[in-house]
Amino acid sequence: MRCLESIAYLFPRIWRTLARGPQTVAYPLSPIDLPAGYRGRVHIRAELCRGCGLCVRDCPAFGLELEREDRETFRLIYHPDRCAYCGQCEESCNFGAIYLDNDFVHGTFNREALIEVLVDRKRTNK
Amino acid sequence: MNRITVPIGPQHPLLKEPMAFQLTVEGESVIESTLRLGYVHRGIERLCQERTYVQNIHLVERVCGICSHVHTTTYCQGVEALLGLEVPLRGLYLRTLLCELERIHSHLLWLGVLARNIGFDTIFMYAWRDREIVLDIMEDLSGGRVSHAVNVIGGVRIDLTEEHRDTILSQLDLLDKQVAHLLGIVEHERSLKARTQNIGHLSLEDVRRYCVVGPVARASGLNVDLRRDRPPPPYDRLTFTVPVHEDGDVWARTWVRMRETVESVRLCRQILTLLPDGPVAARARRRVPAGEVISRSEAPRGEVIYYIRSDGSDIPARVKIRTPTLTSLITLPTQLEGVNMADVSVVLAGVDLCIACADR
Amino acid sequence: MALINLLFFPGFTFLFMCALFFEWLDRRIIARFQERVGPPWFQPLADFIKLLAKEDIVPSGAHAKAAALLPMFSLTAVLTAGLYVPVGNVVTASFEGDLIVVLFLLSLPALGYFLAGWTSVGVYSLIGGHRSLLQYFSYEVPFLMAVASPAILSGSWRIASIAAYQSQTTWGALMQPLGFILAIIGLIGKLKRDPLDIPKAKSEVVAGSLTDFSGRKIALWHLSIYIQTVVGIFLLVNLFLGGSSHQSLFVALPIFGLKALGILILLSMISVLYARLRIDQLANLGWRVLAPLALIQLLVTIWSGG
Repeated sequence: MRCLESIAYLFPRIWRTLARGPQTVAYPLSPIDLPAGYRGRVHIRAELCRGCGLCVRDCPAFGLELEREDRETFRLIYHPDRCAYCGQCEESCNFGAIYLDNDFVHGTFNREALIEVLVDRKRTNK
Repeated sequence: MNRITVPIGPQHPLLKEPMAFQLTVEGESVIESTLRLGYVHRGIERLCQERTYVQNIHLVERVCGICSHVHTTTYCQGVEALLGLEVPLRGLYLRTLLCELERIHSHLLWLGVLARNIGFDTIFMYAWRDREIVLDIMEDLSGGRVSHAVNVIGGVRIDLTEEHRDTILSQLDLLDKQVAHLLGIVEHERSLKARTQNIGHLSLEDVRRYCVVGPVARASGLNVDLRRDRPPPPYDRLTFTVPVHEDGDVWARTWVRMRETVESVRLCRQILTLLPDGPVAARARRRVPAGEVISRSEAPRGEVIYYIRSDGSDIPARVKIRTPTLTSLITLPTQLEGVNMADVSVVLAGVDLCIACADR
Repeated sequence: MALINLLFFPGFTFLFMCALFFEWLDRRIIARFQERVGPPWFQPLADFIKLLAKEDIVPSGAHAKAAALLPMFSLTAVLTAGLYVPVGNVVTASFEGDLIVVLFLLSLPALGYFLAGWTSVGVYSLIGGHRSLLQYFSYEVPFLMAVASPAILSGSWRIASIAAYQSQTTWGALMQPLGFILAIIGLIGKLKRDPLDIPKAKSEVVAGSLTDFSGRKIALWHLSIYIQTVVGIFLLVNLFLGGSSHQSLFVALPIFGLKALGILILLSMISVLYARLRIDQLANLGWRVLAPLALIQLLVTIWSGG
């Protein structure tokens, strides 16, 4: 009796599993459904950026870099190879300029190729 | 009989994280064991003194790969106490929701590891398959499977819509069924019981002596759970039971953990139905007033303690982390004494070690 | 003709192909039971070729000659055993008493496995070797008694005659269900499959006796274990499922294959359903439960049959 109870849980389940088929997703060959909110690459709405540098200060992985000459001339540079995809920059930005999309695959042999200039603001002639 | 020394680790199929054992074995029974740690020491506590409070949220999240959220929760809790910040109720509920989801995920993962160590690959696969349901919920909720990055000082970053809540509730129904099934296997499957009962026994006195916490303590009959004994805000409005077992062996720990998983699913449901309206976070200042605080919370493995000292700047003067694994590690030589060589893996799995937590 | 039998069918080539096919099927079935996909059909062959091509390392201190000879020794033993086991209605060699020879040859790999552990330097190998010997003593006695019953019942120690006797009356598995179960458990122990993979338990002793082997040697070890699986399954088909003695090879062979598949699925199912036993639990099971049961089975067979 106890013997039957012992396999009463697993025995039906293995046959159900066999009938249902494997649940594996052959990832690179077949697409996966990522939720829209999955934290991936950092993007920016460049026109909203004011170069305050809060994102750079809060980034725990030093993935953002601000080269500033003066109030209106600055470059915001993004290093995806250092990025931890935590989304702190999005959280810190007071102007809603930074957002993350769900693209997380950026394999490369050349780290330099990943670096992206998010904002390149030149002094506007008045 | 000759004594031989069997090295287990730093790399060994039974260990998921690097640690080293020297077992002195006579025949097949273990006479003596020595433990060596520190292979994954990353200097996180020291690094915390180099970063701002905001950056540290993401740093302490990486203390552990499994209970990452509870570390940030405890840390933020501490900093909020230093700031004297009142966290909105909705934020607390969402924080707790992730804590409980994480407990389910951690316990299911652990069941898989135990099953793997006793050569029960089927349960390993099933437990990890069911864990995917929780991971999916968490992924939808926070945007990450393991590193949720949900907490901010003053609340959480995420919010929940009505239909998202219903989706999660339906996923929880499925999870409930699967967890009940796994609990049934744990309670009835005889070969699993044969391998886990009467092994790695810890008496109540030992538990008190070594200050063991979490499921290991509860499996030895010590009825302690921070969520019930000192309930932090949402827990005092939720109803749940704390499973306790008297046996103190690996099977009792398995049972306690699986019962806890069932309770956690219940808690998640309650949180989702009781979820109050309002903002999810309060705005926090960057400079934290000088002072010190001890923050505690119940992680899947037991009580996590954070000690944070502030000197008034935006960088903490000291962050000290006490993880529950540390207390379990100390008991290992006691548990390993005299066990069969084959049961070493069961004992090691039973206490649910998180070496990354302990080494930091 | 004898040479063709020896080298191709049902000799070495056939056994080799069967070994690869059974390995694939076994892994595939287990994977499907566990919600996984499992390996593609060429995986066992690819693994075998890859291992053949890999560097062959013998750790210093290990007995180099023993390390080279033992896998060949096991492989030879199981291949030779394969010659005396009928496949369908074909058998390479057959004589009165070949069952005993087959049983002897099938237990030789256990000795080879133990010696492999003994002559290695690693502690895991040593423990694995010891365990394999302990395990041998636990499963072998019930297994021998279990397979002796059909022989006694049919009054012959020749595998082909036993199968023929059963195809005229009924299957051994129906007449002696207890013996069949015992033989299956014994076979699992012999093949060191889950849940009796105690000597090579990964989470306990890494890979047991074979921890220090690499390259060609481990390829031969794996091959010998899988050929042993095939021969063991074929043996049980003959002894308990009536073999297949139809006149035409093209009818006999599929029937035989189906029966062998049945046993393979049974073995896969058992390995999915149970946790690994500890060595003392196995010894208890072997001597306190299996051996008395096998003895009862044997006595009942002798009393009723003779």
